[in-house]
Order: sequence, then C-alpha cells, then structure tokens
Amino acid sequence: MITTETTVRQNPTASAYNRFGPLGQSLAPFVLALIVGAVVLTVTGKDALGTYAIIFQQAFLGVTNLADTLLFSTPLILTGVATLVAFRAGVFNVGVEGSLYLGAFMAAWVGFTWTGLPGVVVLPLAFVLAGLVGALWAWVPAALKAYLQVDEVVTTLMLNYVAIFFTSFLVNGPFLAPGTANSMSPAVAPQAEVPRFMQSSQFNWSFVFAIVLTFGGGWMLRRSTLGYAIRMVGDNSRFAAAGGINVARTLIYAMLLSGMVGGFAGAAQILGVNGRFIDNFSPGYGFQGITVALLAAERPLVVIPAAIFFGALTNGGGLVQLFSNIPIDLINVLQGTVMLFATTRLAFKWLKSRPGKE
Amino acid sequence: MSILLNRLLELRGITKRFPGVLANDHVDLTVEKGEIHALVGENGAGKTTLMRILYGLEQPDEGEIRLGGKRVTIDGPAAAIRLGIGMVHQHFQLVPSMTLLENVVLGAEPSRMGVTDRAAAHKKVQEIAGSLGMTLPWEARVADLSLGPQQRVETLKALYRNASILIFDEPTTVLTAQEADQLFDVLRRLAHDGATIIIITHKLHEVMSISSRITVMRRSKVAGVLETAGSSPQEIAHLMVGEDVGHMERTGRSQPGEDVLSVSNLLALDKRGAPALRGLTLSVRRGEILGVAGVEGNGQYEMVQAIAGLIPVMGGTVKIVGHDATRASTRQRREWGLSLIPGDRNAEGVSKVSTIADNLACTEYYKSPLSQAGVLNEGAMQQRAKTLIERFSVSTPSPYTKVGALSGGNVQKLVVARELASEPQVLIAAYPSRGVDVRSTELIHSKLLELRTDGKGVLLISEDLGELLSICDRIVVLCEGRIAGEVPTEQADIYWLGELMIGGKPATNPPGAVMPTVTTTTTTTTTT
Repeated sequence: MITTETTVRQNPTASAYNRFGPLGQSLAPFVLALIVGAVVLTVTGKDALGTYAIIFQQAFLGVTNLADTLLFSTPLILTGVATLVAFRAGVFNVGVEGSLYLGAFMAAWVGFTWTGLPGVVVLPLAFVLAGLVGALWAWVPAALKAYLQVDEVVTTLMLNYVAIFFTSFLVNGPFLAPGTANSMSPAVAPQAEVPRFMQSSQFNWSFVFAIVLTFGGGWMLRRSTLGYAIRMVGDNSRFAAAGGINVARTLIYAMLLSGMVGGFAGAAQILGVNGRFIDNFSPGYGFQGITVALLAAERPLVVIPAAIFFGALTNGGGLVQLFSNIPIDLINVLQGTVMLFATTRLAFKWLKSRPGKE
Repeated sequence: MSILLNRLLELRGITKRFPGVLANDHVDLTVEKGEIHALVGENGAGKTTLMRILYGLEQPDEGEIRLGGKRVTIDGPAAAIRLGIGMVHQHFQLVPSMTLLENVVLGAEPSRMGVTDRAAAHKKVQEIAGSLGMTLPWEARVADLSLGPQQRVETLKALYRNASILIFDEPTTVLTAQEADQLFDVLRRLAHDGATIIIITHKLHEVMSISSRITVMRRSKVAGVLETAGSSPQEIAHLMVGEDVGHMERTGRSQPGEDVLSVSNLLALDKRGAPALRGLTLSVRRGEILGVAGVEGNGQYEMVQAIAGLIPVMGGTVKIVGHDATRASTRQRREWGLSLIPGDRNAEGVSKVSTIADNLACTEYYKSPLSQAGVLNEGAMQQRAKTLIERFSVSTPSPYTKVGALSGGNVQKLVVARELASEPQVLIAAYPSRGVDVRSTELIHSKLLELRTDGKGVLLISEDLGELLSICDRIVVLCEGRIAGEVPTEQADIYWLGELMIGGKPATNPPGAVMPTVTTTTTTTTTT
C-alpha cells in the first residue's frame, strides 16, 4: 500500500535552487556566472554583450572553432569524471592533477620507447599503463584515509607537487630529449598519437574516448554493485558500514578509479595534442576538473556540458584579448564565479542533509 | 491570594504537533518563584519539546505562556532571554577555542567605545560566580576543560544575561557523581536566591534529592503533579510508566533454546579511547527477547558496535549462531544471521539523501536477486522496496522518494523492514521505539515478538523500562560497561533495576536474579 496521504515533509532549509528543477540546478551556476561577468564588464565600461558574442562566435561558430572547443574540453571531461567518482564516495580528491602528470609521462614513455609497436597495440597499452600509474598514485592517499583516517585533502593536494616535480626531474634529467634545451621528452612514435579528425584542428579521438568513459562511469555508479557501494558510502558512510559494506575498501576502489581516469586524462593530452611530455604541460586540468565535478554533483553526464563550457571559455577567451581591450582575466573571473555558485549549491545541499533535524 | 502572586511561570494547554507525532498534548506546567521543579518522564514523553517551546526554539500550535500573570509570546531564544529565561542544553553550546570568560560574555560583551571591556566583563562574571561559590580558570580555553566546568560556564552564560528562570535539560548525563553534586549545590543556592529552576531528568534519585515539586509527563501529556516531600519513588515511577507495565503482548513463557548470540568478557574503547566495555558477558537464546536496561552512555553504543563488528574489540569474544565472530566483518556476521536496528537511525540506520529503494537494498544488494554478476537488478530492487513498504505500511509516495522526506516513525519502519527482510537468527534492536509514534512502536514490538515466537533471538536495548518489562523475557542491567545484574521479567522490580542502573547495590535481590560474581568486579574496577 503506497499511500498518497503521506507525511512527506518539506524541508524548511530547502534552497531557492530547488525551484529550478534538476536541469535548472545544473544550469544556474553558469547563468549566474554570466550575469556576474556582464555586471563586471558593464561597470568597468565595457560592452558585455559584445564580449560574450565574440567568445560565443570563436567557441562555437564554424567547424574548426567547435572542434577546438571540444579539444579544450576533452581533458576537463576526463579530470571531471575522475574527481566525480571520488566525490561520490565522499572522498574530496584534489589530487587528479598528480595522477594526470604521472599518467601523461607514462604514456609518453611508452610512445617514445616502444616505437616498434603498431598503433593498435601501442595506443591501448599507453592508456592502460597511464591509467595504472594514475591509480597507483591515488592509492597512497586512499589507503592513508581508509586505514589511518588521514585527511585526503591535504595528502592529495601535496602529492600533486610531488608528481609534478618528479616528472619535471625526469624530463630535465634522464629523459630529456636529445638535442633540445627545453624540458621535454623525446617525441612519441607517430603511430602512438591519437588519430585526429581533421587537418585544421588538433581535435582527436580522445574526445570520443572521454564521452564513452563518462557514460561508462555514469552507468557504473548507477547500475553496478560497486557503484552502489560507492554511492552509499558517499551518502552516509556510517549507514553503509552498519549495512555490511566495507567502507575502507570502497573508498580505495573509488580512489583507484579516480586516479586511473586521471591517468587517462594525461595520456589523452600527451598522445592527442602534445606528442611528447612537456614539463609543466597542464594549466591545471586536474583543478578545473574539481569545478566540473562540483557542477555535475551527482549527475555524471553533466560533466560533459560543464567541461565544454570551460573549453569554450578557454577557446573563446584568447580571442577576446585580441579584438577588444578586455583582459584575459575576465575568463578567470567567469570560471571563478561558476565555481563559487557551484559550491554554494553544494552548501545548500549539505545544509539540507544535515542529520538531527527532527 | 498571595499564593497566586508567587506563581511566576505558567504554561497552559500547550500543544505541539510534528509530522506523525503529537509531542505535547495540552500540557499545563506551573512553576513558582524560587522553586526547583523537576520535569520527569521517559524518553519521548515530550519534556524536551515543552522546554524548547518555553525557550522559544519551537512555537506551540496551541496554548499560552504566562509570566507573572501576563501573557507572553516567545518567538525565539532572544525573546526568552529578554524575559529572563535561560536554558542549559544537554549538548553544550560553547566555542571550544575561546576562553571561559569570552564564552560567558559572548554576544553580550560589556564594551567601551566599541571595544570589549575585559576588566568589566571579568568583574561581573566573577561576581556572579562568587555568589554561587564557583571558581573557574577564566583564561583557560573551553577545549581544555572537562565537562563539569563547561556546564558551569553554560550556567553562568544564562545568569550573566540576567536569567531568573533556568532550564536544565538532563544536566547530569555527562557529569561524574561529584560534579553532579556540585551542580546540585549551585541549583539550591540559585533557588534560595529567588531563581526559578526547571530540571529535566529521568533519574529518580535526583528528582527526590533536589526538587520541591515534580511534573510527570507520559506520552505527551501531564500524568501528574506532585509535591516531592509527600511522594514516594513508587508513585513517580507509576505515573511515569503508566499502569500497563509488564504484562502486555507476551504470550506465555518462552522455551529458550541454544545461544544465538553470546558475548564474553568483551573489552572495547569509546571514541575518545576510554574503556567503554569492561568485561561484558551476556547471551541471547533462541525464542527469547533479552532486554538491556541502563542509562545511556554506559556502554550501550559500544556493545552494539562491537557485536556488529563496527568497532574493534580489545579483548573477549563474540559468537553468532555458533560462529566465532570476534574478528569477522560486518557482512560476514550478517551472513551468519545477525541483523541490526541501530540506535541512531539518522546516523546509522538510513541514508537520508538516498532513495527508499537504495536504503532497503543495503544489506543484500550484492547478491541475487538484487544483483547478478556485479550488476544491480533495478526491477528486483523496486519490487523488494514495494513489498516491504506495503508489509510495514510505510507512508510514501514512491520507492524512489528520498528517506529524508519521511517522518521519524516511517524511517524507523523502513529500518525494521530491511533488517527483518534478511530473516535474521538474532536481531539487535537499539532503542527501536525512540522518537517513534505509538502506532509504529506497537508494530515494531509485535515484529520483535514474532521473531521470538519463531525461535529467533532478540537483544533489545532500551532506556524505557516500560518497554523492556512489557516484551522481554529476561532483563540485564548494563552499568559502566558490564552487566550489573540479570533477572527474569516476571521477577523484575522496577526499583531494583533502577538502583542497578545508577550503579547502586540493592540490599535484597528478587528471586531468580543473577548477580555478577565478585571476582570480575575487583579485577575491573582498577581500569577506571
């Protein structure tokens, strides 16, 4: 008997966001950010609509422009998914950047070392090993958290620098490309590069890989028993433990998956765009992935439009500076504002879900 | 007429409804000036709700509050403070990183030209404290203090704001015996100086020793008002638990079989690392409900956690249906036939942000029919949710409703439904009726009795002696992490139990009582 005369309670702390519905909740941070950006532009005496028009045009109009936007969004989709999987288990993993760097170097190493292998072998191999290295890197803070209750925010954040400086050492020392002064590895073999779709853009199959992986991740979280355990541990770990779920093991699995996808992101960038490992190549893909994951919250597929939004800002933003006297910092303002609103939404959610409101 | 003038505080016909629960049902309370008034009753009787209304934290649906004969509206704690009403909460509301002095004056600092006048603050606070014979390390941080001094700071906070009516919500639960005595000295002095004190408690000896009058609440109503001097503990207990104590649904004596759960010499630590279980030994047999009586905080939580495998044990053994479970995982214990209704259902019983279907699947999602080869069968999960919702008449629009949207009674029904669905051999039920409306409580009790009839074992932990006496076959008293005594329910005497609960040593024991052997007592007292 599923009655309709229910005692369902409207939570008094329910946020204004609820009125927008699930789609609106995802869109709201973007719209609000654009409004804030417009206000900033107008107040400083700039043409807000004109600026947005330039960004939009450069980001979306024309096949090449669109391809570039999707190209820029590819690493963000992957780092977004990586971060989201850990978030879903309640682990605030801010160490995807580290997994990305190590995965990137691993992929480059495979590409410039096993040059004799055909593409169908070397490409999957590079991705698998990159994922493996990324996962192993994430295992360290995962185990520390699961078994010793060491806070993961500090460990994952700090280990990023270890990873970045370690790869820096590798390409400045043992793996410095012969005959170059810049800190980079030798180029990977041509067949180790991810095939591109067109001449005019570096847009490549990594994007498709990222999309498939996002759908796979969404399916894993919703439909697999591991995903169920991850969701329950993230929603209420004490409840999960009392129900018989091994919380420590689930946390570690989620972090291994997170690190693996972070490694993939590095491989996709190196083999799809750069063709070699370059010191400090990431402008913070791992950190932007945090914003993307925050925006997506519990809906993995939202990672895709969120990443494309940031890809568009990056792609279109460069041009703004050329055509008007608007500084590139505007793009940072927009990104920061989106982040702010995304986390505000989570704060509302957290307020709502606080226990003991009887 | 003079007696009317003395009548400082009156609550008349206070009624408060929460979804699914009537918390206060036309409650009257009159407290005279200079009086220490005890508000007693079992858990969930409505005492705290009434006091939250008086302090402005809840608004009554009906009824009025009169102060000195005049009707007042208390729409928040600020209004209560203006009217001279102060409350010392069960869980202290102090800022750990600030000093005692800062905590006392916080929000009402004496200031000169916008700057806090520490000297003036210090002087005023010390005056108040001095008049009560309190000395405190004013410049120490709250975080560095034990709970007794923290409570004194809470009391001073209220007095500093000129409170003349002070509400204490179960003030002694966190205190040692000496600290409780000190608190009572302070309360007597305050009352002597003309303050009005309302103290919520469920410890009879405290009621008898400190109060001048008593209002007893039972099931959201006032069961009686007594002068302490002329009343006996028996009278109070009878008003508290009602007439229907002890002989309800149980059908005949059980014929208990072999042990389904046995715990021996269990040692475990609490969250802060202090010993919580000090050699706990008990066993639950097939076909019986074993009740665990005791004041909360005497190891109940750790006992449940240790039996379920949620905290490590430092010594002793746990056996579940013949298997040595001492080191087994929670899932393994459940596979052997253990089920668990956790004491704090919002923290451990459910995930409020997850759907009902997800909540109900938690104990069995990893096996058929809910999943095959690591893939969830959503149809089976939905079917299971629908079946359980129907069987336990949970009010919900859909199996995909988030649990946080349900009322307390419905949430508890979900927990019970899930835990019984796995057909346990032994069920641990911790405070299963706490905060649950009467109808749901009856349903839960009938399910526990069904398990007993089917030859399963039940371990029921409750603070509510009425509940224990009505459905248990045997009752043990848990005090300071070990069993203080055991008695068949037929022979149980509420005062004997009460005395054991608060660490007393009754002069005479009822027939059939089993008392712990002296050797364990002597070896374990040193661990404190």
